[in-house]
Amino acid sequence: MFLAIRELIHAKFRYVLIGFIMVLVASLIFIISGLAKGLSADNASAIQNLETDYIVVDAEAESDITKSFIDREKLDEIEQISGVEKANTLSIRMMNASVNGTEQNEDVALFVTEADGMLIPSITEGNSITQDNEVIADSMLKREGLKLGDTLKFGDESEYTIAGFADKQRYSHTSVLYMEASGRDRINAVTIQANPGKIDEIKNGIGNDFDILTAEEALQGIPSYSSEQASLNMMIVFLFVIAAFVLAAFFYVITLQKRDQFGVLKALGAKTIYLVKSLLGQVVLISVICIAIAVGLTMGIKALLPADMPFLLEVSGLIQTSLLVLTVSVIGALISLVQVVNIDPVEAIEGAGK
Amino acid sequence: MTLVMENVSKVYSDGPKEFKALDDVSLELQKGEFVAIIGPSGSGKSTMLSIAGALLSPTSGTVFLDGENTAHLSKRKITEKRLEKIGFVFQAANLIPYLKVRDQLRVINVIAKNKANSKGRELLEHFGLTHRTNNYPNELSGGERQRVAIARALINDPKIILADEPTASLDSQRGREVVELLADEIKSRGKSGLMVTHDERVLDLCDRVVTIRDGRLEE
Ligand SMILES: Nc1ncnc2c1ncn2[C@@H]1O[C@H](COP(=O)(O)OP(=O)(O)OP(=O)(O)O)[C@@H](O)[C@H]1O
Ligand SMILES: [Mg+2]
Repeated sequence: MFLAIRELIHAKFRYVLIGFIMVLVASLIFIISGLAKGLSADNASAIQNLETDYIVVDAEAESDITKSFIDREKLDEIEQISGVEKANTLSIRMMNASVNGTEQNEDVALFVTEADGMLIPSITEGNSITQDNEVIADSMLKREGLKLGDTLKFGDESEYTIAGFADKQRYSHTSVLYMEASGRDRINAVTIQANPGKIDEIKNGIGNDFDILTAEEALQGIPSYSSEQASLNMMIVFLFVIAAFVLAAFFYVITLQKRDQFGVLKALGAKTIYLVKSLLGQVVLISVICIAIAVGLTMGIKALLPADMPFLLEVSGLIQTSLLVLTVSVIGALISLVQVVNIDPVEAIEGAGK
Repeated sequence: MTLVMENVSKVYSDGPKEFKALDDVSLELQKGEFVAIIGPSGSGKSTMLSIAGALLSPTSGTVFLDGENTAHLSKRKITEKRLEKIGFVFQAANLIPYLKVRDQLRVINVIAKNKANSKGRELLEHFGLTHRTNNYPNELSGGERQRVAIARALINDPKIILADEPTASLDSQRGREVVELLADEIKSRGKSGLMVTHDERVLDLCDRVVTIRDGRLEE
């Protein structure tokens, strides 16, 4: 690192410039990833947190739970299949609820299931459902002013009371309400807890008219989910490509300018591996510093964002993305490394061997 | 004998064309001996120096560095030999632009993993560069630069000093001073020196002058 550090210090300006670009690109990557994660949670945290291994839908629904229709009797049938440990029904209905009989209206997603079943989330405030006219509501509704004991009315149906709140229960960018399923014949899906080793048996038992989805597949089946994520992910991929190319071009040109020096150093007895390490050291050092600054910048921006903006930064995700940016930087430096390897020390002697 | 070249030829092949830059050249350097190579442009001087310094391998013939036949050495070993046995002084000094004078010498210790080597200060003092140790090359005069280059060539205590037109970028006064310094170091430290030069006025500082013409050596 003797050479690497001294050169960085001597040529501060050009390295600060490239560092600036890297900080911007890395920050953008972090911010868009945060947005993608946030939107994903806002769109489907109820499905992501659903306490189930598999979701059975009818084959014509193309993985979209809301498009699937199954007869209630199928539940009993599925429960008998060996390998199925627990099974519950799930119906999803997008509704508009009027609050306490006032003008206030809230869009909600009704998750209709057995009140004593596995799908009922853990309650963070209040109680679970004990009566048919009670619901568990997503905590986000509290921001709209809803409290325990408030009543909700859906169209002509009877009134429901909020018995409890649960966190992270969003579906299709709407807050979810859990309610009892009794008395409904047509359901959307059957969720099952099962031994993954017996999945083939279960498939045979259920028959060809039905698909068995994992939670991840069910997510992709939400129509807005995959298109949202795809466009954001494409942006992120492009940013990675941009980072790689900008760094590649920068280090390529710098290395080109340093050919003579590398030739001299090799002639003086520097091993190629020493020079390669020196260049890699520079790339890694610059990247690590820039990533650190970008992380700080992203945290700062997060603090400035309004609270209801779907933006989710997790430490594990940050670390993963940072490592990816670092890897991409090193990949960008590879063509320069090839250059360094190929420089012939005889170039240090004017005229000979050229 | 520190440097021996035996019947060395070098053929550059440029596609189908072949060009014999060195033709059956033999040369021996004694300890403490300072030899000049002169000759017209394109006669093969730099080629000969590059082969002597193991930067280029001969098409035929053998080169012994401090008694060791370089033909049998791997590329890696040759690099090590260069570091250990040879000090180079290049035409335009070729200092590393982002290193201060002090670090120009220290980088050799770093490469050689010999950080304990404390000869740098003594060398710089000896060459009258003490007040320049914290300057970058672009802040030095041509003569100072070339003196740093010579100090760099000496820091690792090599047996052989090779110089390719070390005075080319200097006026005759400074040029002569630099060659005097080289000759002095080679004599007093018991090294062998081989210098390519165009400048006939410094030849009196050398023990021996060989002339090369169309790749052939004439003494
Ligand atoms: N890589 C190469 N391929 C082909 N020909 C070469 C190559 N390197 C040198 N030559 C030729 O070999 C001959 C000797 O070159 P060299 O550089 O050794 O000459 P020189 O005596 O150092 O000349 P000068 O005084 O101009 O520096 C020249 O005719 C040159 O054109
Ligand atoms: Mg030459």
